[in-house]
Amino acid sequence: MKNILISLFSIFIIFACSSTPVEKVDVQETKTVDLTENTQTDSNDSVVMSDVDLGEAYVTVLFDYDDDTLKEESLEELFAVSRLMKSNAKYTLLVEGHADERGTREYNLALSERRAKAVEDFLTATGVSSFNIEVVGYGEEMPVDNGSNETAWSKNRRAELFFIR
Amino acid sequence: MKRVILLFFLVLEFKADLVLEITESASKPVKIAILEKNSNSLVGQEIINVISNDLKRTGEFRVLGMDELLSIPINEDEVIQRDWLLLDVDSIIFVEVQNEDNNLEIAYSIFDISYNETEDKRRVLGLPDSLRQSSHYVSDGIYKYFYGIEGISSTKLMYVTRNSDTHKLIISDADGFNEQVLLKSNNSIISPAWSTDAKEIAYVSFENNRAQVFTQNLATGQRNLILSSKSSVSSPAWSPDNKDLAFTSTKDGNSEIYIINLKSRKITRLTENLAIDTEPAWSPEGKKIIFTSDRSGSPQIYEIDVRTKLKRRLTTEGNYNARASYLDKDEIIFVHRSKTDFNIAKLDLGSRNLEVLTSTKNDESPCIAPNGNVIIYSTKDGNLSYLAGINISSKVSFKLPALYGELKEPAWSPFLR
Repeated sequence: MKNILISLFSIFIIFACSSTPVEKVDVQETKTVDLTENTQTDSNDSVVMSDVDLGEAYVTVLFDYDDDTLKEESLEELFAVSRLMKSNAKYTLLVEGHADERGTREYNLALSERRAKAVEDFLTATGVSSFNIEVVGYGEEMPVDNGSNETAWSKNRRAELFFIR
Repeated sequence: MKRVILLFFLVLEFKADLVLEITESASKPVKIAILEKNSNSLVGQEIINVISNDLKRTGEFRVLGMDELLSIPINEDEVIQRDWLLLDVDSIIFVEVQNEDNNLEIAYSIFDISYNETEDKRRVLGLPDSLRQSSHYVSDGIYKYFYGIEGISSTKLMYVTRNSDTHKLIISDADGFNEQVLLKSNNSIISPAWSTDAKEIAYVSFENNRAQVFTQNLATGQRNLILSSKSSVSSPAWSPDNKDLAFTSTKDGNSEIYIINLKSRKITRLTENLAIDTEPAWSPEGKKIIFTSDRSGSPQIYEIDVRTKLKRRLTTEGNYNARASYLDKDEIIFVHRSKTDFNIAKLDLGSRNLEVLTSTKNDESPCIAPNGNVIIYSTKDGNLSYLAGINISSKVSFKLPALYGELKEPAWSPFLR
């Protein structure tokens, strides 16, 4: 390999002296990282969230387009969650926020996290300790309905509440 | 039957994922023929084939096929000018290939029909296994000769594919060949970004059940988690000198923009606002960052001076403007909602003139080619997402349909020369 490089280099010099402009081609090597075969991550300081099978959401609340305000119709269910959590401090809640596909992925990620945060804020306002609530945003990455219409979008703009312990 | 199906999938695996279709050509493409000089070799034909496809794919060239020619000269002396004037051909490209001693040399010259003389002569040198890449260099040289803009055939594209639960981050040559998987995951991958020296990439991976930013060395596959946090970290953007990475995080309770120095790991917070601040992008000289913020009630584009932290709002038209990047220091492109559709728009920062560039429906993730003249973005038709693009100066538009699953999040490499 070294020989080839040296010969190539010398040829490059020779041609560089002639009048026609010369370009040398570089081919870049790449390597694949496969996370599907090996579940452990190579970074030892990564934060891994409670990795349990969550099953069905305990409660799902829906939101309007580009909005993170809780709807009145969601409050009754959230009060019930609040009562349950206050009666048993062992419960830890995971709130997953989601967005519909419209607009940009990164903005939707931020928006979905705000939706999850809105649920957290409501619960802490009713007296639940924020220590027992985990919040995560998934943006538009995990739709429940893959359609591109208002019916699908309205289902996808949501926050899902899971009890993880 | 089973064997036939298996074989079919194997073929699909090796075939290029990106097949480019021109949806609208230039109004007056440059008409050329590409001929091998003094020879008719297999390697020569292969090279001419790659160059022809590169130039056709720009939508700005009409490359004549052998069956369309009136005469086939083997060098400049044999060109019968009248034959070529009849065909309204602008130039003949003569390609001469030397493929020996472990190296490949392509010499090419541009013979102008109306002047009846050679106007430009160049050489490209590579190893024998770099036949396609060497040919792309020739294409770029020809493109620049005719249009005065750098060609982008020798660049690469990075994108994300999704096929049921398998997400892949892939780079391929600009023509879709030479596909290489950088990351394969069961979780979403978004916002891939090239370092400006094209040696590393950054992206957001949901592999640990929340958004995290990783950088990855292309040659070694070595990955680094940018910030260990219980909050989401996303939207990476390399500074033009590759020393800093801008990103978004909710680590202080709300979506804000930060800059991390990759060497010292020192983190600087840029925004302080209760609204969503995200999607940072650096100005070409690295002094400013544009970002999306909904502090006014709807997402709009703002600009912040990295040093003084002075801000100004850039977009005023419409109720949804997001994911901006600089086209040059005076123009930005971004996702703009016009009535009900999301399109890619361009804003002149001086005149404040807004121009909607695309007419597809759910357009996002716009990205500019390194020559500053082609925009690629992802869009959706039904449930299928695919890539589409436009050439700003010639208005050529093209699409890269997904052959299977989804194709999204395009990121154009810098020049690799």
